[in-house]
Amino acid sequence: MADADYIKLIKELLLFKEPQKVEKFILKENKRDKEPGEQENSDAINVDAKRKKSKGMHLNKNSESKQDEKQKQESNEHGKKEQKSEISEKLSVNLEYMKRIYSIPQNGDIILREFDIVVKDKVIPAFMLFYDGMVDRKVINDDILQPLMLLSNLDIKGDEKCIAEFVRNHLLPHNQLNEVKDYRKVIDEINFGGCGIFLEGMDSAFAADVKGWEHRGVERPNTEQVIRGPQEGFTEILRVNTALVRKILKDEDLIVENITIGRRSKTPCSMLYIKDITNDSLVNEMRRRLENIKLDYIIDSGELEQLLEESGFSPAPQVIATERPDRVASLLSEGKVAVILNGSPFALVAPATLAGLVHSPEDSYVRYPYANLLRLVRIIGILFSLLLPGVYIAITTFHQEMIPTDLLFAIEASREKVPFPSLVELLIMEIMFELIREAGIRIPGPIGPTLGIIGALILGQAAVSANIVSPILIIVVAVTGIGSFAVPNFSLGLTFRILRFAYIFLGAMSGFLGITVGLFIQGIFFTSSKSFGVPITVPFGPKTTRVWGGNELIRSPIWKQERRSDYLNTKDEAKQPNISRKWAEQDEGSGNNEE
Amino acid sequence: MKNKITFGRFEATCITITLLSTQLFLNLPRIMMEAAWTAAWILTVYISLLALVLFTIIFKLYKRFEGKDLLDLGEHIGGSIGRIIVGVIVLFFLLYIAPVILREFSENIKIIALPQSPLSFVMIFFVAGMIAASYLGIEAIVRFSAIIVPIIIAGYLLIIAGSIQYTDISRITPWLGSGPYEIFVKGIPRISVFAGIILIYLLFPFIRTYRNFKTVGYASIGLSGFFLIIGVLVFSLVYQYPTGTESFLPVYQLARLIDYGRFFQRVESIFVIVWVASALLHLTTLLFLIVYVFKKTFKLEFYKPLIIPFSIVVYTLSFFPHNLISAIELEKSFRNLAWIISFLLPIVLLVIARFIKKNPKKEAGNA
Repeated sequence: MADADYIKLIKELLLFKEPQKVEKFILKENKRDKEPGEQENSDAINVDAKRKKSKGMHLNKNSESKQDEKQKQESNEHGKKEQKSEISEKLSVNLEYMKRIYSIPQNGDIILREFDIVVKDKVIPAFMLFYDGMVDRKVINDDILQPLMLLSNLDIKGDEKCIAEFVRNHLLPHNQLNEVKDYRKVIDEINFGGCGIFLEGMDSAFAADVKGWEHRGVERPNTEQVIRGPQEGFTEILRVNTALVRKILKDEDLIVENITIGRRSKTPCSMLYIKDITNDSLVNEMRRRLENIKLDYIIDSGELEQLLEESGFSPAPQVIATERPDRVASLLSEGKVAVILNGSPFALVAPATLAGLVHSPEDSYVRYPYANLLRLVRIIGILFSLLLPGVYIAITTFHQEMIPTDLLFAIEASREKVPFPSLVELLIMEIMFELIREAGIRIPGPIGPTLGIIGALILGQAAVSANIVSPILIIVVAVTGIGSFAVPNFSLGLTFRILRFAYIFLGAMSGFLGITVGLFIQGIFFTSSKSFGVPITVPFGPKTTRVWGGNELIRSPIWKQERRSDYLNTKDEAKQPNISRKWAEQDEGSGNNEE
Repeated sequence: MKNKITFGRFEATCITITLLSTQLFLNLPRIMMEAAWTAAWILTVYISLLALVLFTIIFKLYKRFEGKDLLDLGEHIGGSIGRIIVGVIVLFFLLYIAPVILREFSENIKIIALPQSPLSFVMIFFVAGMIAASYLGIEAIVRFSAIIVPIIIAGYLLIIAGSIQYTDISRITPWLGSGPYEIFVKGIPRISVFAGIILIYLLFPFIRTYRNFKTVGYASIGLSGFFLIIGVLVFSLVYQYPTGTESFLPVYQLARLIDYGRFFQRVESIFVIVWVASALLHLTTLLFLIVYVFKKTFKLEFYKPLIIPFSIVVYTLSFFPHNLISAIELEKSFRNLAWIISFLLPIVLLVIARFIKKNPKKEAGNA
C-alpha cells in the first residue's frame, strides 16, 4: 500500500495533468470617457463601474449560487444539531436551553443571574447571561440590573401592553440594545462580550452590547518606527483600528464593510476602501475572497494573509501588512483595499507591488531628496542581504582575478590558518547568525543581554582567534545581516533571508553563472506572480505609464504626484490638480507684474 | 482565436532586441570583419538599412492580416497542410539555431569563467533557466525582459564607453575594406543577422494590432541595428583588421581592456552577468518559440508537457558539434541562409495569401 502511494506521488510529480480551467482575476480598467478627476463626470464613472460590477457578478453567478446552496445546507445541519432556534415564551425552557448550550455549571466564567422584575404590579421572573471578564461590570450593574430590578417598582406612565416594548421603552436605559427572536443571535452576542436578557412570557430576548474586556491602548507601533510622522499604531480592537483610520481620512466615502470570518470563532473583520476611488472589481474580488474563507477559527491577520494570497509558492509577499494607521490611510487614498481583523494589530493592504514593499511610511513625510536617498539605501540593503555572501563565494572561488592584488593578499593572509573551504566557513557563520537572530526573538526578556554577549564573543573575537573563520568573512556576514534589517517589510526580509542560501550554493557551484541563473529564475518568478490581479513587478514589467514619476520606486516631489498609480485603474485618477501649489503661481505672477 | 495574453510595445521591443542583438556577444563583430575587413561597420550599416527596407515590404504586405502569425498564414493558404509545412520549416529553423547558440554560450562561459567545469555542467545551468522560464510562460518572460533588457543595454554601453579611449580612426582605413562588390553584393545574405525578427511574425497574435506590429518592428530593428553598428565600429576601431579576425569573443575582448583607475582593472567578470542574462533570455525565448510553434503546428491543447522533452532535445543536439569552432561554423552557415526563412518565407506567404480570397464567413467559422 505504501509502495503504491510512492508510485502515485512520483507519477504526480512527473506526469502532466491537465490544468483546471480557472478564470483568474484581472484588475479591469475603468472606462474613461472624459478627463477623469473632474467632479461632473464622477457620477458617470460610478454608473459605469456599477454596470461593470453587475457584469462581474453575472460571471460569478453560477459559482455563487452553488456556494449559497452549500451555505444553506451547512446552516441546516447546524440547526438540526441545536434542534430549535426560536426563543420560547416559557422562561424555564429558555433557561434549560441556555444552561445546556453553555454547559452550566461546568463552564466557570459564564455568569447566570436570575432575578424578578415588576411590570405594572406583575412580578415577572427573568435571567441574564454573560461572560465574566468580557463585559463591563459597571454597565451591567448600573444600566441593566439596577433599572430592571429597582426602577420597575416606580410608577411609570405608559400604556404599552407588550412586556417587551414596555421594558425596552422604560426599563432598560442602555444604548445598544437589540431584541432578537433567535437563540443563535443571542448566543453570538454573548460570545462576543454581550449580555442576553430573557423574560417570562416574552418570545424574544434582549441582547445588549456591554463589551468591556481588558485590552492594550493605542501605543507606538513596534515594528514600523519613524522619526517624522504620526506615532500611533493599531491595537487589537477592531473598532479602535477602523476609527484610527477614519480619524485620519475624515471622508464619508471611506466605506468600512463588516465581514465575519471563521465558522466557530465568528471573528469580525472590516474591509476598508474609498468608494469613489477604488476600482470596483478590486473591492468585489476582496469581498469574494473574504466571504469564501471557510475555517473554524482565525486568530491573526497573518493567517488571513495566507488565506487571501493568490500563490502560496511565490517567494514574494502579495499583501502589505502594516501596523500604522497613517500608512493604511495613505494606501487607501491611492486606491487600494485594506482589511483589518479583530484581534490583530496588523492591517492587510492589497494589492502589493515589489516597489511598494520597499517603501517606508516615512518616505512621504520627509523631503523628496532625503526619501530617495533612504530608498536607495534600502535597495542596497536588499541587494546585500540577498547577494553578498553568494557573490563573496563566487569571487573567492571562481573569479579571483576580479580582486585587486593587494586585497587578494589581505584575504589570502586572513584565510591562511582557516582549515575550511570558504563555503563551509560561510555556512557556519550564516547558520550562527540565523541562530542568534532566532534566539534573540524567542529569548525571555531578562536574559536578553546575555545573548548579545555570547553572540558578539562567538561571532566576533573567539571564532577568529580559534581560526575557525577569517575576519573578512565576519565583515561579509555582518554586512549581510545589517542589510537584511534595512528591508522595511518583514515578509520581504524573510524572502531574501531564505533565498540568500540558494545564492550561496549557486555561487559555490558555478560562480557568477550560477548567480545570474538564480537571479534570472527569481526574476521570472517575480514577474509571473500577481497580487490581486496586479503583477507585482509593475510598473517595470509590465511597463506602465509614469515609471519614474509619482511614488513607485523613486519618489517625485509631493506637488508632482498628480495622479494615482496607473496599475490600480482607479475611478478617480487625479490626486491633485496639475498645479497644487497655487501660491507659487501667484507669486510668480505678481513678480512678473512688478517687472 | 482568442488570445488572452497580450503585451505592450515596450515589452515586445525588448524581447525582439534580445533575439536580434545577442549575437554581438558571440561572434558577430568578427564575422563582419572577416567579410568586409576594415569596412565591417559599413557592411553592418548596409544590412541594417536593408533589413529596415525588407521589413517595410513585409509590414505593408501584412496590412490585411492583422493578428495572424506565419502559421495562420500557412493555414490561410493551404489549410492544415499549409500550416504544418510552415510550422515544420520554422521548427527546423529554431531547432537548428537554439542548440548552436546554447553550445556557443556555454563554451564561451567555460572559457571565460569556469575552465575546470565540464561543458555539460555549464549547460545544465542554462537549460535549467530555460525550463523554469518556459514553464512560467511568455507573459513572464516578456515582462522580465522589459526589466532586464535596459540593464543589459546599459552594461553593453558601459563596455563600449570604457573602450572608446583605445580607439584610433586610422584602424578603419582603407575605408571600403574588401571592396564594394564584397560589401554590397556578396553582403546581401548577411541580412540573416536580423533573422531573429521572425519572433514578431510568430508572436503577432500577442502584439495584437497592426500599429503595434509596425512600431515594434521598426524600433527593434532600428535599436538593434544601432547596437550592432556601434559594437562593430568600436571593435574595428580598437582591433585592427587582421588581428581582429583572430580574437574570440570580440566584445569580451573589449571588456578586458577596460580600466577605470587603479582599483577597477579587471571588471570583465561583472560583464559575465550581462552575458549570461542576455544568453538566458535569448535561449528561453527560443525554447518557448519551439514549444509554442510545435503546439500550434499540430493544434495541441497544451504546450507545457513539451518543455522538458524539447529542452532535452536542444541539450542533446548541442553536443553534436565536435568543438567550439565547428559550432561557430554551423552558426556561420546559418547566418548565410537564415534570411530565406525570416525574410523570404513571410514575403512569399504574404504574396500568395493576398491572391487567395476566402469567403469571410467561412474564415470566421474556422477561427
